[in-house]
Amino acid sequence: MTGASDIAAAHELVVARVIDAPRALVFRAWTRPEHIARWWGPQGFATIHCDMDVRVGGSYRFGMRSPQGTEHWKRGTYREIVEPERIVFTFAWEDANGNPGRELLTTVTFAEHGTKTKLTLRQAGFDTIDRRDDHATGWASCLQRFADYITTEA
Amino acid sequence: MTPDPLSATLAALADPTRRAILARLSAGEATVTELAQPFAMSLPAVSKHLKVLQRAGLIARSREAQWRPCRIEAGPLKDLADWLAQYRRFWEASFDRLDDYLREVQQKGTAHDRSK
Repeated sequence: MTGASDIAAAHELVVARVIDAPRALVFRAWTRPEHIARWWGPQGFATIHCDMDVRVGGSYRFGMRSPQGTEHWKRGTYREIVEPERIVFTFAWEDANGNPGRELLTTVTFAEHGTKTKLTLRQAGFDTIDRRDDHATGWASCLQRFADYITTEA
Repeated sequence: MTPDPLSATLAALADPTRRAILARLSAGEATVTELAQPFAMSLPAVSKHLKVLQRAGLIARSREAQWRPCRIEAGPLKDLADWLAQYRRFWEASFDRLDDYLREVQQKGTAHDRSK
């Protein structure tokens, strides 16, 4: 049976991890190309292109090659840069012709966790760019309201 | 242009009232009147939301029954969850590497400090 939590899970992805490094370093690892190139993508994938203009409105494009030799490209635009707490950017994989697919609004937050850093990544999908812009600010609170609703009503 | 099923699902979910309607239906079938109750909304307004959900395949409505109760359809939500799961795998794998990489960077930093 489809439960309310499935509905919540189906339109936002949340991945959290405690990283054994200070927050300033974790933030740099997300915002400097020399760092990104070393960890982006699954094990065995090589970064073949890393172009990033880390400022609000700036864009990025990354390319990686799988161990089997397949190339994967992704691109997006930075929406918010709040050092050392938060980065918000759009994320879209490109198809074989270099056309970007569906865009996901991605929010990464960095919270101090003792000497470590808690990294939380959220991605939400939107139907059109206009709608995403309308909802970019209200989305998180909508989800919170939805979560509250589920907890109290369901 | 006909939107792809994923777009239709996301468009239908991009509205708090429609998500709340789905949450209510996840607890069981309901009529339009029952669905309208918590929202201080007219029946036509609720019907409009139901049409969007129905077009996206997120709910089904009985044709025969006079009261036409609505029920939730799991298929599109599962497709959406599967699509997001691909992103989850990507990030989980990247975070493994990030953790390893930053440990390495810090060890190098410490060794470098000692050699000074």
